[in-house]
Amino acid sequence: METFFPQFLQQLINGLSLGAIYALIAIGYTMVYGIIGMINFAHGEIYMIGAYVGLVTLTAIGTAAGYPPWLLVVAALAIAIMVTSTYGWAVERCAYRSLRGSPRLVPLISAIGMSIFFQNYVVILHSSRDLSVPELITGRLFSMDMGGFEVSMSNSRALILIVTVVLMVAVTLFIRHARMGRACRACSQDIRMAGLLGIDVNKVISFTFILGALLAAIGGVLIGLSISKINPFIGFLAGIKAFTAAVLGGIGSVPGAMLGGALLGLVETFASAFLPTEYKDMVSFGLLIVILLIRPSGLLGRPEVEKV
Amino acid sequence: MKMKKTVVAAALTAAMVLIGGSALAQGTIKVAVASAITGPVAQYGDMHRAGVHLAVEQANAEGGALGKKIEIVEMDDACEPKQSPAVANRVVSDKIKFVLGHVCSGSFKPAAQIYNENDIVMVSSSATSDDLSTYGYKTFFRTIGKDSQQGPAAAEYIVSKAKPKKLAIVHDKQTYGQGVATQVRNTVEKKGLKPVMFEAINKGDTDYSALITKMKRAGVDFVYYGGYHPELIILLKQAHDQNLGARWMGPEGAAVSDVKGDSAEGLLVTLPPDFSKEPANAKIVEAFKAKRQDPSGVFVMTSYAAAQVLIDAIKGAQSEDPKKVADYMHKNRFKTVLGDVEFTPEGDWATARFDIFVWHKDASKTLAP
Repeated sequence: METFFPQFLQQLINGLSLGAIYALIAIGYTMVYGIIGMINFAHGEIYMIGAYVGLVTLTAIGTAAGYPPWLLVVAALAIAIMVTSTYGWAVERCAYRSLRGSPRLVPLISAIGMSIFFQNYVVILHSSRDLSVPELITGRLFSMDMGGFEVSMSNSRALILIVTVVLMVAVTLFIRHARMGRACRACSQDIRMAGLLGIDVNKVISFTFILGALLAAIGGVLIGLSISKINPFIGFLAGIKAFTAAVLGGIGSVPGAMLGGALLGLVETFASAFLPTEYKDMVSFGLLIVILLIRPSGLLGRPEVEKV
Repeated sequence: MKMKKTVVAAALTAAMVLIGGSALAQGTIKVAVASAITGPVAQYGDMHRAGVHLAVEQANAEGGALGKKIEIVEMDDACEPKQSPAVANRVVSDKIKFVLGHVCSGSFKPAAQIYNENDIVMVSSSATSDDLSTYGYKTFFRTIGKDSQQGPAAAEYIVSKAKPKKLAIVHDKQTYGQGVATQVRNTVEKKGLKPVMFEAINKGDTDYSALITKMKRAGVDFVYYGGYHPELIILLKQAHDQNLGARWMGPEGAAVSDVKGDSAEGLLVTLPPDFSKEPANAKIVEAFKAKRQDPSGVFVMTSYAAAQVLIDAIKGAQSEDPKKVADYMHKNRFKTVLGDVEFTPEGDWATARFDIFVWHKDASKTLAP
């Protein structure tokens, strides 16, 4: 099969750019879990809000005003990050902080409540219809002929990949070297001890929610630009997939979330490439079960050692 | 007690109003408009309601039916099979006897069963699934064709005009999408063209690029998509991104103004004929334009006609009894914006047909060559 390699390459590109978005959202799940040991179920909605803030920014500036597209994208990203981070902070303040120390199920339910609240809030604000996002990033980064099969990558996908890789490196370096990053690691090891040693635990937890929201907002804006339509329900499916990615990689581990995201994207893509497309979710979730059977704490998760 | 007082007050107010205006003397005839006001395919609902509202307004301006005004009661099922039974139950409990809708086949199916049990007349102007007229519901009607007409019309065009070397058929696993895609497959196979691919996608996904790459590898040069427009838009865009180079075709659910841009240029769609171009409808087209509505939207004219048929049938039967109205609809011929409409014993529009249109990047359409 002489066209196997180019086709494989194309599917690799497809899968990685899909997985990149999963990974961006998954980091939010995994960091929150790493520190407070709970799942933030409103996180998918934060991603959706990021996409809406991006669209509102673009509409407010106006795509016909003559600004270069890259400037518009940067503006949309910047404002989405700022506004959505506030939402992330608010989720923590409303749904988690006031319930700290209560049984684990209570904040779980309050987070689900936040998620439903956000969904309906956006429905009321923007209606439940699909809104179209202006196509700012068009064209292909490259397209090459390999043995009669054209392998190509669109600029919007390239942007997703590049931005994700840059953010991953930045997050990793930050957690490893920055003062706040060290504080995060300390809290994930033993939150009470970290507090006793003078780390402002509340600040660290708020920061975790803000960082997660920031990454999810970037994911939301990028996906909006890439598929050029959004609706208030995109957060649910994306949230579930990203949560799966986080569990797959080992919840609590940041490199695990990155690996899990990429893996889930690739598995979905290759499953629909070589099997009928309707089997792809069966394959990817089947894989999740198998991996959890063999490694109950996920690929890179080590529950007894450090998390985050 | 409080309730009773309110009722009395309302009755008194009503009585006072009635002394003034005798036209309202006998109340109104309520018609439920079961549409999609929210949800991803709310654009179909916009077209549906535009058509129905104008028809009812014009009928009311001419005195309504049986000396009563027609009153529209808006309902929303968001094209969700989960929500439509609730709508149907509300229609039943509000004692409404006539329904214009539902918009989508999938959500209409469970509701139609409830209407049938309660003898409620239902006229859909956009639900094309064949299943709907196979249950023998006596009060079911539609002013649009069926997928078993639309599928073969598309298949006929594919085999005799488009003549693709490698055909792929994709659907969204929903009542409507899978139904019409299966019809297309069966017909092209009968004509000797075997599709190289028959695949289903998940509704609501945002990434179909793996499927596009697979099509590209198989050398697909023509794709038929059975489903609604939200997924089609993404498919078209991702096919364009990867330079698939195939011609796309879809059923009437693909024809909405959100399908636009370079990736949508040249898309083929099967649609009811464009009745807004008929000279006989010039006046009605003007009325739509005065309301800033687009009369050429796929379901606008069929919905106008559905309301026309229902109102004429109530007038003709001289009764608000839904059974008599349904009986009258089965036995008579109606003058509508679609021309003369007659119904088969199953409630289908006897002379429905589909034309093939080419969709353009500005969301306009022209008749396919």
